[in-house]
Amino acid sequence: MASLSLKSFAGLRQSSPENHHPSITALSKPLSPSQINYRRLNVIASKSSPKITGRNLRVAIVGGGPAGGAAAETLAKGGIETILIERKMDNAKPCGGAIPLCMVGEFDLPLDIIDRRVTKMKMISPSNVAVDIGQTLKPHEYIGMVRREILDAYLRDRASAAGATVINGLFVKMDKPTDKYAPYVIHYNAYDGKAGSAGKKTSIEVDAVIGADGANSRVAKSIDAGDYEYAIAFQERIKIPEDKMQYYENLAEMYVGDDVSPDFYGWVFPKCDHVAVGTGTVTHKADIKKFQTATRLRARDKILGGKIIRVEAHPIPEHPRPRRLADRVALVGDAAGYVTKCSGEGIYFAAKSGRMCAEAIVEGSENGKRMIDESDLRKYLEKWDKTYWPTYKVLDILQKVFYRSNPAREAFVEMCGDEYVQKMTFDSYLYKKVVPGNPLEDLKLAVNTIGSLVRANALRNEMAKL
Amino acid sequence: MALFSSTPTTKLPSFSSSSKTHLPINLFQSVKPQRQLLFMSIRSTENGSGAAAVIVEEKTDSEVGNGAPVANLVEEVALKYEDPKWVSGTWDLKQFQKGGATDWDAVIDAEVKRRKFLEDNPESSNNDFPVVFDTSIIPWWAWMKRFHLPEAELLNGRAAMVGFFMAYFVDSLTGVGLVDQMGNFFCKTLLFVAVAGVLLIRKNEDVDNLKKLLDETTFYDKQWQATWQDEKKE
Repeated sequence: MASLSLKSFAGLRQSSPENHHPSITALSKPLSPSQINYRRLNVIASKSSPKITGRNLRVAIVGGGPAGGAAAETLAKGGIETILIERKMDNAKPCGGAIPLCMVGEFDLPLDIIDRRVTKMKMISPSNVAVDIGQTLKPHEYIGMVRREILDAYLRDRASAAGATVINGLFVKMDKPTDKYAPYVIHYNAYDGKAGSAGKKTSIEVDAVIGADGANSRVAKSIDAGDYEYAIAFQERIKIPEDKMQYYENLAEMYVGDDVSPDFYGWVFPKCDHVAVGTGTVTHKADIKKFQTATRLRARDKILGGKIIRVEAHPIPEHPRPRRLADRVALVGDAAGYVTKCSGEGIYFAAKSGRMCAEAIVEGSENGKRMIDESDLRKYLEKWDKTYWPTYKVLDILQKVFYRSNPAREAFVEMCGDEYVQKMTFDSYLYKKVVPGNPLEDLKLAVNTIGSLVRANALRNEMAKL
Repeated sequence: MALFSSTPTTKLPSFSSSSKTHLPINLFQSVKPQRQLLFMSIRSTENGSGAAAVIVEEKTDSEVGNGAPVANLVEEVALKYEDPKWVSGTWDLKQFQKGGATDWDAVIDAEVKRRKFLEDNPESSNNDFPVVFDTSIIPWWAWMKRFHLPEAELLNGRAAMVGFFMAYFVDSLTGVGLVDQMGNFFCKTLLFVAVAGVLLIRKNEDVDNLKKLLDETTFYDKQWQATWQDEKKE
């Protein structure tokens, strides 16, 4: 894993990451079969899978968001016959729209996709203590704010240019194979660009399926992947006056408090020409409107005079589904449940998991020459869990410790004032690596954290006496 | 004859007991000299360090009724946290002096009241009046004296009682004296369990809380491992 990290991120840290992007995997360029085999030591099952004659491996990807688009591109480049099925090509998804810096490099995103570069964040505690974070950012570091319809379309178009077939249709159901290497039959309604039509019932045969169809995944249902707990994220897009928009030029805000959300946070994120004000919750979904009102109240002075131009909501998974793959069907992105706790970030992980799954398929099928089976897809799961488990676990711990109660949130905001914390937070967010950091500073941080928590809890106990 | 409830707080300088007729309160549309006015300042506490908006009530005299604007409503200023000691988004420590040194207990009390107020009445965060108070300005010994020491006394007392009784009990059963007990491994284990018990279980609910906490720490891991259970079964 260490070598992987060096390969991935050394380039990003040295110079302007936009031009200097190390390819994460050599498989993005098609390799001849002889080159791939000899590297792997523990190939068992796929070696015994039959060679496909007369055609390449066919894979269907259900869902054309970041996960589907990234997977389709990698598959197509790897020589696999790829079909990408997306139901709404211009879908403006309700989303925070924040992408970490490493995504720009890893996925070669053009800079004009990014509407805004957020370089400052303000954390606001329940008692309105406001802390600015971002002073430790280097000039080339930022959080990119994108419009989902632009990003998703770009990734799909790139997949199409690489050779994938992009179909506008709605996945209906999937017939499981009757034989060990028999194909899956995908049934979908082809829209063909005609809006509002019921679509033409179409069926295709494929050898493997990637379910990238989001939080309400139908592919997941068809493989009995199980359910997950989910949060409801509710967001209002508000157009605010120009002078107020100046304040949010490159600043995002995060409000914490029981009034705003009992287990998440409220946010004000700048978009292209308006702000998105929203909040979310897992445990108190019925009160989401109340939380939204409270969020708007907390930001009132800064969004005064604004007009609500759109209201949207969406479920966000809290943890992975009990089953993330079955036979030759794998789930990626939100469909698999790869959203982090604490920050609720999902775009990068969706795209990355799509890519990783596709790489595993390309490798296991030797660029489409062989049939794959479940063990090849398990390799993707293994790699994913190994690479990103620390990130997910750390964010889970942070959520458990700091989103528990108002005193915990006060301590959280207090801790964010510390420069070491800011540096660690941004480093791990922007580059998706849990870096150990300086042990002495870590110890000081631990002591300060405990101190903050103890003080805040002591104050809360006194409050209860009042 | 205006009636004033003698407000012990000093934060209402506009009310002076000498002025009977002309009361400079800008909340009212009109104040007629003949009016009898009853002022109540609600929610001001005795020591004056809690704060809230001023709610003023006006009762008209029964005789006055001809064309005088009836302003017998309770006018409420938008509830905003205000306190003379809360200056520029933090506590002004100079106002907390007691006998030459800062009265940290009073600072803690003030912050508690502020947080309680804001919890009940969340306020908009404003860039022009940022809140910059940090609890770490209150020195560690102030926290210790106020919160840790009483609890420590309680827990040490419990530990001492349990320890004495257990030592007596073990001695009466086995005849092993206190000093010899300390040399025995089993007794040392019992001592460790007793101390841990006193520290961790302070209230009855703590037993359940600890169990829940333990489950919580491993729950997320289990959710991630779930997909691998399938593989093991095969």
